[in-house]
Amino acid sequence: MYLKTTHKFLILCATAIITFTAAIFTDYNSFAQSTSGQAAAIERGQKQFEANCGFCHGNDATGARGPDLIRSKLVADDVGGNLIGAVIRNGRPQKGMPAFTMTQEQIDDIAAFLHARIHGAMRSGRVSDTYPLSRLLTGDAPQGKAYFNGAGGCSACHSTTGDLAHIASKYAPIDLEARMLYPRGAATSTVTVVLPSGEKVEGKLVHLDEFSVALQDASGWYRSFSRNQVKVQVHDPLAAHRALLSKLSQADVHNLFAYLETLK
Amino acid sequence: MLFLWGIVFSPPAGRSQGLQESALLKPATDTWPTYNGDYSGRRFSVLNQINVKNIGSLRLAWIFQTHTQAIKSTPLEVNGILYFTAPDHVWAVDARFGRMIWHYQRPSEGDHIGHRGVAMYGDWLYFTTPDAQLVSLNAKDGSVRWIRELADPKLGYFSTMAPLVIRNHVIVGVSGDVTDIPGFLESLDPDTGKIQWRWYVEPKPGEPRSETWPRNSDAIRHGGGMTWMTGSYDPRLNLLYWGTGNPNPVLAGEVRPGDNLFTCSIVALNPDTGTLVWYFQPSPHDVHDWDAVETPVLFNAPFNGKPRELLAQASRNGFFFVLDRTNGEHLVTAPFIDETWASGIDSRGRPIAKADYAPRPDGALVEPASDGATNWMAPSFDPQTGLFYVNARRTFSIFYLTATGKPEGWAGRDRDLYADSAIRAIDYRTGKIVWDHEIGKGEGTAGILTTAGHLLFTADNAGNLLALDPATGHTLWHVNLGGRMESCPMTFELDGRQYLIVSAQDLLFAFTLPENLIHQSAK
Repeated sequence: MYLKTTHKFLILCATAIITFTAAIFTDYNSFAQSTSGQAAAIERGQKQFEANCGFCHGNDATGARGPDLIRSKLVADDVGGNLIGAVIRNGRPQKGMPAFTMTQEQIDDIAAFLHARIHGAMRSGRVSDTYPLSRLLTGDAPQGKAYFNGAGGCSACHSTTGDLAHIASKYAPIDLEARMLYPRGAATSTVTVVLPSGEKVEGKLVHLDEFSVALQDASGWYRSFSRNQVKVQVHDPLAAHRALLSKLSQADVHNLFAYLETLK
Repeated sequence: MLFLWGIVFSPPAGRSQGLQESALLKPATDTWPTYNGDYSGRRFSVLNQINVKNIGSLRLAWIFQTHTQAIKSTPLEVNGILYFTAPDHVWAVDARFGRMIWHYQRPSEGDHIGHRGVAMYGDWLYFTTPDAQLVSLNAKDGSVRWIRELADPKLGYFSTMAPLVIRNHVIVGVSGDVTDIPGFLESLDPDTGKIQWRWYVEPKPGEPRSETWPRNSDAIRHGGGMTWMTGSYDPRLNLLYWGTGNPNPVLAGEVRPGDNLFTCSIVALNPDTGTLVWYFQPSPHDVHDWDAVETPVLFNAPFNGKPRELLAQASRNGFFFVLDRTNGEHLVTAPFIDETWASGIDSRGRPIAKADYAPRPDGALVEPASDGATNWMAPSFDPQTGLFYVNARRTFSIFYLTATGKPEGWAGRDRDLYADSAIRAIDYRTGKIVWDHEIGKGEGTAGILTTAGHLLFTADNAGNLLALDPATGHTLWHVNLGGRMESCPMTFELDGRQYLIVSAQDLLFAFTLPENLIHQSAK
């Protein structure tokens, strides 16, 4: 069951990506996959729209000679074609829109298409996990390699045949780019707490604020201390990533990414 | 010395039983009658019973549990009653004992991102909703007097802000930047809810500054610029100051070449007519969601040896601005974080954006992130130190422009990479950072209150309520509240006792001094 659903989802994703502009990379997919019947209606509606309406409203419904229907109050207020239908059938002669003869099914399909487009625009503030590599791959891999081994200082901690071997096969491109910059959660800070007696307690850092420090020691037990009674040394393995964030140029980012993408 | 030019407040038309006219005539002591405590937006209290000498004895008076989402509102306190909110909810709570008097709930569609609080006029409260309605409630029992639609929620409008009452004007703003809808600010009659004026953030085609939008496109009609947050007001000048939000489509600047006025601006309006008097734009042609809606803080202080009537804003884009609030003359621009997006400052005091730091299909690494170097969390100005305080967040993210056809809505997004935060004190004369108090990794969410007791109240990112020395930033007192503060501390005095009110997640806490110290403090 799970596999079937996933399969269907992938087909719908592919359809959506091929059919629509990238603004719909966002959440159109989740809308379309709600039922296969709905997805089919949207697809039919798009064809109807392009054939009959696109000339004035633009094939993506964002407006041309005629108004933008994605940002239209009438379309926003429409439920299942109840307002759109009258406009299609009667036209708006005073504004130059002719009447169209369409079946109820055709109108329903066009309404489904427009509502799916609005749904996508309303959720355009997301970057899809499947954001295509082709749009990210603008850098120069040899320059990225030079930065990796030189100015970036990456090779001080990382090896392309060790921890980064096949890294491009492990992560989606959009995730690899983010993790390359700051791999949140990839490594835990450790801490050394020096007690007044001089005894040192070490472990994984669990909590740190101005007043307290807590760690998990080698035996797995949680221990906490008041910071005004101990000395605290934190070892953050991601400190070099944090420092790089302030130094990287946009070209460095894209060159480095292009280089990492060669590590299939 | 800075006291010499203190702001004098004029009253709204009050009623005998509700909010008294006199409450806004003087610095707030027994009342906190507006979102920011007074019209200036300074969030500085003249109360000093709780002070640097006795802060170590501060103790819990009561806790109120809302059992809802995080409290992001600042309560009002009028006649011993606190009024505060969450989306869809208003509570009236006994300020002395923490008991609920009434609770109003109105489930709604729309964005429930947060809520800042209510406004009051006489016996009436004004509450904005996630479906862009304005609800007037009877402050005695929470019953509804009327509900007016501010804007059509189906188009993507909602409202989170606490209205501002000036005389017989209820000034209300709107939110919503996922669709390309025009922002506006409007004034309603406090009794009838009828519109008195509406000021649109975008000028109409042909009007002054419409040339900052492209011709031959519908961009100006879909330009955004939401009025998310409560503004400030100068009664002497009779000027209302308001910050406006980002232009739309949010990340896609190429379809709207130009400065895109009056988005991402600080505007001065006549509160009686809604007429624009002057403007200043912290982020011309914004493409990073850097709303300039952070409180325009008003204070009178010397600048280059002369007394000036000033307005300061620590803006979401990472820059601190000081203006002459009589005419909008620019005086200071300085970054308060190590932003990476600006190449300099132009002759009008505006940051100059680097072209390759705009969102792009392959990603642009930028500090600050779209969440901003600061955000809704209130700043404060302390006239005793002459310092401006801000919750400063060092945030990095990578901005993707994902749209390929005609961009609409956000047209992309940034992915957060890293954040840490500090409370920073800024010298308003230069914009220089005087002290920096680290509050931990992540994005700070706490507002700031300063008091005549030589105290600064805020919270860190680990759930600690902090009392800092406003002159040095050193910690004087703290307590772990067990959750994030996502609102702003406030204070008032009742029956000779000063209360400090703070929230953590969905809990409201009241702190006071023990009885014996209150008597000592009075001597």
